[in-house]
Amino acid sequence: MNNSTQSRNLVLGIDTGGTYTDAVLLDYDTHQVLDRHKSLTTKRDFAIGIGNVIDRIHIDDPKEIKMVSVSTTLATNAIAESKGKRVGLFLIGYDPELISSFKMSQQFSTPNYYYFDGGHDLYGAEKKPLDLKSILEKVKQIKHQVDALAVSSYFSPLNPEHENRAYQAISSVCDLPIVLGHQLSTKLGSVERATTAALNASLLSVLREFIIAVRRVMERRKIAAPLMVVRGDGTLMSDEFAVRTPVETIHSGPAASAIGGHFLSGIDNALILDVGGTTTDLALLIDGKVTISEKGAMVSEYKTAVKAADLLSIGLGGDSHIRTNREGDLLIGPERVVPLAYLSAQYPKVKHQLHNLTKISWQKSSPEWLEYWYLIREPESMELADSDRKRKLVEILRVSPRAIPEISKELGIIHVSQIGAEELFRQEIIGKAGFTPTDLMHIQEQYSVWDVEAARYALDAFSHYLLKEPAEVQRLVWELINEIILEAVVSFVTEISLSEELSAPGIGAWFFKNAIYQRHPHLGAALKLAYPVIGLGGPAKMFLDASTRTLHTDLVLPEHYQVANAVGATAGSIMVSEEVLIYPKLSESGLDVIGYFVQSSYDRLEYQELATALEFARRLSHEYVYSAAIRSGAANPEVIINEKMDGIDTYRIFAQAYGKPRLS
Amino acid sequence: MQLIGVDTQRAYDRIREMIISLVLEPGALVDEHALADQLNFGVTPIREALKLLAHDNLIEVSKHQGIYVSRISTEDLKLLSEVRVLLEGATARMAAQRAKEDDILVMEALIDEQKGIPEEDKRAWFEIDHKLHQAIAAAAHNRYLGESLEYYFGLSQRLWYLVLPKLKYLSRSVEEHADLVKSIKERNPDKAGEIMVSHVRSFYQKVHEIIEAEQG
Repeated sequence: MNNSTQSRNLVLGIDTGGTYTDAVLLDYDTHQVLDRHKSLTTKRDFAIGIGNVIDRIHIDDPKEIKMVSVSTTLATNAIAESKGKRVGLFLIGYDPELISSFKMSQQFSTPNYYYFDGGHDLYGAEKKPLDLKSILEKVKQIKHQVDALAVSSYFSPLNPEHENRAYQAISSVCDLPIVLGHQLSTKLGSVERATTAALNASLLSVLREFIIAVRRVMERRKIAAPLMVVRGDGTLMSDEFAVRTPVETIHSGPAASAIGGHFLSGIDNALILDVGGTTTDLALLIDGKVTISEKGAMVSEYKTAVKAADLLSIGLGGDSHIRTNREGDLLIGPERVVPLAYLSAQYPKVKHQLHNLTKISWQKSSPEWLEYWYLIREPESMELADSDRKRKLVEILRVSPRAIPEISKELGIIHVSQIGAEELFRQEIIGKAGFTPTDLMHIQEQYSVWDVEAARYALDAFSHYLLKEPAEVQRLVWELINEIILEAVVSFVTEISLSEELSAPGIGAWFFKNAIYQRHPHLGAALKLAYPVIGLGGPAKMFLDASTRTLHTDLVLPEHYQVANAVGATAGSIMVSEEVLIYPKLSESGLDVIGYFVQSSYDRLEYQELATALEFARRLSHEYVYSAAIRSGAANPEVIINEKMDGIDTYRIFAQAYGKPRLS
Repeated sequence: MQLIGVDTQRAYDRIREMIISLVLEPGALVDEHALADQLNFGVTPIREALKLLAHDNLIEVSKHQGIYVSRISTEDLKLLSEVRVLLEGATARMAAQRAKEDDILVMEALIDEQKGIPEEDKRAWFEIDHKLHQAIAAAAHNRYLGESLEYYFGLSQRLWYLVLPKLKYLSRSVEEHADLVKSIKERNPDKAGEIMVSHVRSFYQKVHEIIEAEQG
């Protein structure tokens, strides 16, 4: 009290995106950003990037930091790149013929799935006795070949008895982590539940390692604050919950951006466009809340039962690769490369080469001269031992970055694809650099932290090859970017995919093109977005200026819009939810209702009267979410209870407790 | 996740493992700095971990001798054996009265697995043995009993490593286990209790013999 600076509530927000890891130090009460930093994401080990970024944030007194909150693409990436752990999926009471006739087995996200007798029916009654003997037999067979197990039993949300018995038995014979379907989803869709359980199991150790890594960095910086993780709907969960339900972090990055956009701009209704290095993410903010997808989040080709923000992510960002196809058409993305302005700043020789490139004859020029490979780190010998070409490649890159035609020449091959360097890229041993919108932004003096001159040489060389003026090429690139963004906006807001419309010369394509270019002499078309656009991320201004004009709306760039994602990681509420099902108990004949079951995620109780059952369910769910929110670090949680009928005589009571983090 | 340092937890697990598997021998002096170097941790987490291990009775801190790994004394062994014989015997009796079908399936699966483990793979063998004792405790359906047994079992783990290399004890033990599960399945508490008592007792007898031989 005697010194106002000692009672500040500071929070540290971190977002690990596909290209950059951002961190902000924020005064929670005044919304003031005290410090911010950007660092490259290290995909091979996210903790390195997080360590780098936290180390550069200026912290006066670590005791002032009351909360650390992270959003991460770790889960989404691990699934997309199949880097999750191996999972054995036990399906109890599922119909193998039904699954295979609808080709649903590819949905399970793991090739190791097994069917067993058991499961319940729509009334929670046992359909078939549980075949525990076969389950234990299978566990013995596979336990050394998988890293985690998932169990999903038919209609387990109504009666999880078979999942619980399987858990008891399996955990008595092996130490693998086990995920149960009913604990993750109360929805009745049996395939989505199994997929969610299997994905969750595959991510357990990935997220655990991540949390431990963040905690280590915190300990090193003497930050003794609770650690929160952002969910896919933007709410926060304590790290304790996060290590059990990693699957809920799917899409947490874009959700955090949208919430950060709201927090920084104070605008309640807007379309949020977050332009990153690799992707641009779209989300809709209505009445101050990010709209949530009711269908369950999709990740890669898998449909899950995870609640996440309704969003669209497209492969276009500041570092998207600009190139041409064989026909000479301009292309951009989805591949992300390091901008040539950046590479030249690190290696002056590259700049020199780019300069020479502007002077060679057209016959000799090729866009491949604008694609460089470079060494990021020394490989450990084992990673290379499988091929001479790879060893040679690393040897020449160790001297300096090389353009593609140089590499082919030095290695005596026709094309670099013969090297098979994919794994070297994935392991971040070598990287790729090329011509990007970030280079154009350097030339246009919108962003010039790296080598502006080198960027100009690159544009000149690229224009030289295209036989066009540099100014013309610039205009064409921004036009293409604008078109891609508008297509995404229209598809996202209308939920109608435009790509099919645009590939055929119909009226849809006509309206769209005329709304952008006003080509027709007699009839014009126009788009009008009902909300302003909140632009986030470094390249937002350049990327969104033209498109918001076409959409006849305002582009709002709030202060600190470059790091809104990290701000948003701290701005969400802590949320805990619980769903309780109430459904009838039938007589032996199946004709009479003789009572009601109340099924929560940990208990099933029986009541004679519906009214008493409902009353109990309300009280139970209220108590559960309230106390769990307090345990998770929420201050004065507010509980919202929703009830709805779901089929004959079946009720769902959905309780959520929301609270701002308790910061003291 | 507790605010207890993640490194402390990791250091605790590693050092505990070293003590139980006799890499750190009973009575050996513990050098915090050497351990910190060897395990690649700071000295603080090592110190915190040693405190936790002292609480587990695996480390002793003495003003005069410094920090050392707790010794195994014949006197202590006798006391431990008395308690375990009593508790494990009672547990087996209760399991024979209360075990459910699922419990028995688990026990049978474990016996089955143990039979397939080669004699040399003592580590795997030991893990299954532990799980079987846990499964029997679970089948007694009294969680206080289960928790107490776990504590005493923890204290006995080091003894296992002491005995294992010296004796051809395993195959007979597997037979004993099988008989034990059979009597539980047949709902024969007297027989189950009897087998368990002799099983635990003979284990401590062997340990006693070995320690006598080494010290004598």
